[in-house]
Amino acid sequence: MARLTIDRAQKRFGSYLALDDVSIAVEDGEFLAVLGPSGCGKTTLLRQIAGFDKLDGGRISIGDRLVSSAQTHIPPEHRKLGIVFQSYALWPHMTVAENVAYGLTVAGVRDPERGKRVAAALDLVGLNGFSERRPGLLSGGQRQRVALARCLVTEPSLVLLDEPLANLDVHLRASMEEEFSRFHERTGTTMVYITHDQAEAMALADRIAVMDRGRLLQLATPSLLYREPANVTVAGFIGEGMVLPATILSAPQAGRCKVSVLGVEAVVRCRSDQAVNGQAKLCLRARDIGITTAGENGLPATVERLSYQGGFFRMEARPANSQNIVLHLDAAEPAPAQAGEAIRIAITDGWVIPESVSLDKAA
Amino acid sequence: MSLADPATLRTRVEETGLLWGLVGLVALLSLLPIGRLIVEGLAPGGQLSATALGKVMASPTTWTATWNSLTTAIAGTILATLIGGTVALLATLTDIRARNAFTFCFVLPLMIAPQVTALAWLQLFGPSSTLLKLIGMAPPLGSRNPLYSREGIILLLGLQYAPLVFLTLRAGLRALPKELIEAGLAAGASPLTVLRTVVLPLMTPPLVAGIALCFVSSLGNFGIPAFLGIPGNFLVLPTLIYQRLSGLGPGVLSEVAILSLLIGVIAMAGILLQDLMLRRRDFRITTTSSAARPFELGRWRRPVEIGLWAFAILVLAMPFLGLLSTSLIPAFGVPLNAKTATLANYAYVLFEHAASKRAFVNSFLMSAGAATLIVLICVPLGYFIVWKKSRALRLLNLAAELPYAMPGVVLAIAAILLFLKPLPVLNVSLYNTIWIIVFAYLARFLVLGLRPVISGYLQIDRTLEEAAQIAGAGLPRRLVTIIFPLVAPAAVAGALLVFLTAFNELTVSALLWSSGAETLGVVVFSFEQGGDSTYASALAAITVLVTVGLMASTTLFAQKLPQGVLPWRD
Amino acid sequence: MTLTRRRFTRHGLMMTAAAALLATAPAFAQAPAGKLVLYTSQPEKDATQTVAAFKKAYPNIEVDIFRSGTTEVMGKLAAEISAGQPGADVLLIADAASMEILKAQKQLLAYPGAKTDGFQPGSFDADKTYFGSKLITTGIAYNTAAKEKPTSWTDLDKPAYKGQIAMPSPLYSGAAAIMLSTMTARPDLGWKLFEGLKANEAVAVRGNGAVLKSVASGEKSYGVLVDFMAYNAKKQGSPIDFVFPKEGAPAVTEPVAIIKSTKNEAAAKAFVDFILSDNGQKLALWMGYIPAKPSIGSPSWLPEGTKINVMASDIAAVVKATEADKARFATMFGN
Repeated sequence: MARLTIDRAQKRFGSYLALDDVSIAVEDGEFLAVLGPSGCGKTTLLRQIAGFDKLDGGRISIGDRLVSSAQTHIPPEHRKLGIVFQSYALWPHMTVAENVAYGLTVAGVRDPERGKRVAAALDLVGLNGFSERRPGLLSGGQRQRVALARCLVTEPSLVLLDEPLANLDVHLRASMEEEFSRFHERTGTTMVYITHDQAEAMALADRIAVMDRGRLLQLATPSLLYREPANVTVAGFIGEGMVLPATILSAPQAGRCKVSVLGVEAVVRCRSDQAVNGQAKLCLRARDIGITTAGENGLPATVERLSYQGGFFRMEARPANSQNIVLHLDAAEPAPAQAGEAIRIAITDGWVIPESVSLDKAA
Repeated sequence: MSLADPATLRTRVEETGLLWGLVGLVALLSLLPIGRLIVEGLAPGGQLSATALGKVMASPTTWTATWNSLTTAIAGTILATLIGGTVALLATLTDIRARNAFTFCFVLPLMIAPQVTALAWLQLFGPSSTLLKLIGMAPPLGSRNPLYSREGIILLLGLQYAPLVFLTLRAGLRALPKELIEAGLAAGASPLTVLRTVVLPLMTPPLVAGIALCFVSSLGNFGIPAFLGIPGNFLVLPTLIYQRLSGLGPGVLSEVAILSLLIGVIAMAGILLQDLMLRRRDFRITTTSSAARPFELGRWRRPVEIGLWAFAILVLAMPFLGLLSTSLIPAFGVPLNAKTATLANYAYVLFEHAASKRAFVNSFLMSAGAATLIVLICVPLGYFIVWKKSRALRLLNLAAELPYAMPGVVLAIAAILLFLKPLPVLNVSLYNTIWIIVFAYLARFLVLGLRPVISGYLQIDRTLEEAAQIAGAGLPRRLVTIIFPLVAPAAVAGALLVFLTAFNELTVSALLWSSGAETLGVVVFSFEQGGDSTYASALAAITVLVTVGLMASTTLFAQKLPQGVLPWRD
Repeated sequence: MTLTRRRFTRHGLMMTAAAALLATAPAFAQAPAGKLVLYTSQPEKDATQTVAAFKKAYPNIEVDIFRSGTTEVMGKLAAEISAGQPGADVLLIADAASMEILKAQKQLLAYPGAKTDGFQPGSFDADKTYFGSKLITTGIAYNTAAKEKPTSWTDLDKPAYKGQIAMPSPLYSGAAAIMLSTMTARPDLGWKLFEGLKANEAVAVRGNGAVLKSVASGEKSYGVLVDFMAYNAKKQGSPIDFVFPKEGAPAVTEPVAIIKSTKNEAAAKAFVDFILSDNGQKLALWMGYIPAKPSIGSPSWLPEGTKINVMASDIAAVVKATEADKARFATMFGN
């Protein structure tokens, strides 16, 4: 049974459709990331799941219990969720221990059991010894962990995280990611993780739901999202994909077909039912293209800029025959070419984006 | 709604119950007196009649007084905002020393009744002014005192209500995280630019709350225009009402009711304006960092400190010293020196005059009681108004201005009209008990508690409440454990205002008091009217000292209170 | 009755000078009893003393006092009347004009049996609805450091007095309103006097208390003031003195009346009886007022043999003229 079922959720703000028929089923124990740019509706979705707002259409169920629909609305205090807010929302007038203990106090759990569980939660996030501090005196990372501990102490079956790492610096983010991951493994809690950072989503999630402008674009494992994006937006959003127009030259065979793109031919992956036509879109990633080895034919291009990434260079190159396209690729140190030089690019892999019911209405 | 589980049902019942309970309460406190006045104005004796309305509208004095009321209230508010605002900014955001003591002193003038302040300033500017005589600038005998004028009234209104703006703005500034200011300074902006572009915009809710309170207070102020305006027949609406009342004759209550409603309409217009200004902007501050003190004054520090203290002493000490000197002489007009000084007035007031002692106890209990009750009402009230945006309450919010804006004597009349006969059902009469005065205080001062609380809510991030919701807390628990501590600084600012104003108030209890239910204001007034100014001054001086003592004693248990609750403690 | 006598003894020990003045209380066969509510605008001290003396005479009556300014008292009464239940049994206020208004509204109970012999005819209502209790005159008070010593009302119009005069405003004080109508009706004073006051920049303040403060502090050198206030202040040491002007002094009688809806008519009548009795009049004298019954005597501050030239006022004429007079005053002294 799915832990969380969102069925054609709809939410309107005035004339603006913030959620447009979004349907997601989150399995019990799954770590789902909801990924998308600002304004895509992911926070709105979270607030609907939590119960801070009411749906205009569709249904949301937690377990087998209907919590939100146009007619029903169970208030947040009765949904038995946990939330880690982006701003942590720690109560400044309470100590860390009091913050964490709040949910237990509300549920009627008394000392010594309450004290034990609080200590255990703080232990879980590595903050024992901090129980008497006030949130105002903690660092960002510490507050983050208190928020997590507070969320977990009541042992909810579903935890929502609203861009929890957005306010942290890069190193902290890495360690907190580990934290979340470990925690998920240990407890098996179902987690719904809202973020705009795809690296985070890819690293942590079992599946990712990509949203844009209120609509669900694709719901798949990170790997599938990366290798087989379902539409142009997803392709562009994940892994810095480059989307180029291409012509299909041959019918699919064993998941591959021949295409012509930017004047060169390449063999790329595609769906087994991909039709042969001239209007296809090809998704390329940096690792799918590279500088040709000596003797190989390739796409002529001029290097625009190089940026050192630590051990390798990220190159941006403009194809000779298409001045308004910029390709990016990686090259190992030392730099094989400098800015302004000509190179030849070989396309070794790619993915033909399937033509589906257009989800992007013409802007 | 379809069948919901019992837990959800309970939540809904709790919230709806609380909401409608509040609606009922505010309606009782605000609409009932107004309704009764409307009835008296338009249907006296049970018969619909427009004579009073016609007479009032046709009289040119009405419109002169209205114009005067508007001009003095607006100008007085501007002055109060400039003074109170500047002082709040200096006291909260800069590195001046002894800020707690200063805040304490600056708030004290709120405790001195406006009429005492008016008198003290009159004496200061008059020919018998000791201060002016000292610097050789005493005006010759017989010259007209410059304070008997529109400008004099505006000056005193500004001074009287500057602490209002100060209190509300200071509560708001303490919620401002220093990072915001430091960011501005780091970007190269001058402190004044940061003030103008960062601080003041974010401080709009508390500022506007303070300004609105000031405006309504100035509009309804009676004591200052009574002293400064009556001699020159410069009428404002409250003194015009009093004049009509003094004229007696049939139909006078109707006219008085109509004039009071006029004041109320003007007050409501002012508040609507305030609401408009606050709409559509986000003033929320999400932070848990400690208080800001980012502006360093450098070599300006000493002059600023001197200036601030000189001002506080002038505004506070002067009226108080005037009181004190009058309380120590045996009869009015006798110069105060070592030979004439006497404590006989204090002895009389403290030991012989039974009513004075009763008045202290009564005033204290009623003011503290009213302040507490009002805070308890205003915290959930503010919740529903600001966060739940309950339409019913927003309208009632406007209505709550009326009992504060209208002259106290009119509110008292409304209370008499309402509660003379025993209450229906309960068959108990509030008349001639302290409870009718308590009712009048609750009705009148509700708005004093509500405005700061609303501005407090506008500055709190709602996710703090949402987190509590997720943790399973229902509305009552959230109000008590999460919301109240967060809004406490603003709420206490409101409670203080209510207490200080009620403790000294006169015009309402002048008509409602009864034997055993005397208030301090009434006793002082009696003494004054009877020509016993010395007793009046002694009693007023004791009142000020008692209030100072009470406020100082709060610092004893300040440790247990959340941060920022007491304005004079960091 | 044993009970009464015991109470007398206990009270007698506690009272001081007042007890010496008051003889043993008359013992009635059926003494009035119960609760009596008094609304008064007398100074608080006087109100308390009056009631205390009354209770000595009528120990079975419990008196509740409501004391405030005339405006407040009348406002409260008006509201109660409008709500249908006046709270007062007896009323004792400063001036007869306010009483006339209540009489016109039929709110006063006539007491034909009141013993008014020995009282000046003008001091009580011909229909016996209200009775003056004392004589409070208005004269000219001056600061002892003042340069001039006025002797007549017209002195106030002299240039030497410019900017130095305070007076109670008829717009806020019933007594001052009576003074206005009385003086403007006289041919030797009339509106000319007030025009002169206006030219001399006289300030009309709210009430006699304000005038006293103004003159005693030296803010203004001269003031139009009621007699007892000036003399009491002088007694306590204030640098103030008082003069009865040549033309005469307008007076108010501080009348007492019974409210028609009273629930305790017997006690109310007893109160009126007390005020009009010799004991009541002696009390007024002892409190520092000129009693309404001339035969009782004069207060200590009135020099022996001084005859006060009281300005007669026709109360009916005053009531008729007062609205117009006040309006004219307001225009004259307005800005």
